Amino acid sequence: MADDGVLDEGTETAALQEVLAAEHAAVWGYGTVGAALPLDAREPAVAGEVAHRDVRDRLVALLESRGADPVTREPGYTLPFPVLSAVDAAALAVVLEEGVSAAWVRLLDQATEPAVRELAVGELGAAEVRAVGWRTAAGRTPVTDALPGLPQA
Amino acid sequence: MCSRPGAGGAERMGAMVPLAPPAPAGLPRRAFLAASAGLALLAAGCTAGSSDTTAVSTEEADRLAEQVAVQEAVVAAYAAATTADPALALSDLAAQAGEQLDRLRAAAPSATASPAASAVPSPAASSSAPPAVPTGGDVRTWLRGQVAGAAAAHAAACARQTGARAALLGSVAAGLRGHEAALA
Repeated sequence: MADDGVLDEGTETAALQEVLAAEHAAVWGYGTVGAALPLDAREPAVAGEVAHRDVRDRLVALLESRGADPVTREPGYTLPFPVLSAVDAAALAVVLEEGVSAAWVRLLDQATEPAVRELAVGELGAAEVRAVGWRTAAGRTPVTDALPGLPQA
Repeated sequence: MCSRPGAGGAERMGAMVPLAPPAPAGLPRRAFLAASAGLALLAAGCTAGSSDTTAVSTEEADRLAEQVAVQEAVVAAYAAATTADPALALSDLAAQAGEQLDRLRAAAPSATASPAASAVPSPAASSSAPPAVPTGGDVRTWLRGQVAGAAAAHAAACARQTGARAALLGSVAAGLRGHEAALA
């Protein structure tokens, strides 16, 4: 919530912009994920990229509908680690999904409109489902997260 | 720099930003921590002295207590499924369900803990208690159905909450969606 504890359309819009920025990064990052996977194993990466593009476009439309200027994609991004194998690719996808999850949770905390919270909780769940698949591919244990997007207590 | 294979020149130019920062800027850690400490009303950002806000927050707290009951049923379902089919190896998922329950209870001051919290739902949860594991049936499929129902309930409740409570419920709902996927 805002530092003064007041939630309003301004806090919600700012949080929507943070989600949009995370979605831009995810769309870009999934390109790297797909490129590091064998051709016959790229379907999940393609599906993930399409999903994030769709959400990005929905967010842009939502922000424009309320008179805000949607944030644009950064001119460049740095990867958190080299992506040289299929396991690296899966690990990167986990990072991407967990990144957008944190942004969606932030939006839930800041939102004032139930419709925005419905959007957020739905997409947060979708991100966690994708993350489960990628954690499995990356050999992570456990493959699930009890509280996706929430900072550790 | 770890450049993206096939990335265009424009993406290699200009200021580079981390692809996925550890957490969004300004993440309200204070609010989440407060909620975990059972101070959900404070964390929700109630305006002091506003009777309207207080009334709404009390209602939201009651709704959160309802979700505690839903989660108690999830924990009970994991326990029942483990008893019915120990080979399912549900320990990680069951532990996470318990962690979710702990966080919900901490954020719901009006919720009362059941005596045997890890395995038996409280009386308040009786309406949300899972049906018995079907004898001879597919325990995994049954459990997945229980988890799916709880995830949907938490998600619906999330939309009716605000602030830290909405964030917590949304996260729990998403966590259970992940459990559904893992149980598929």
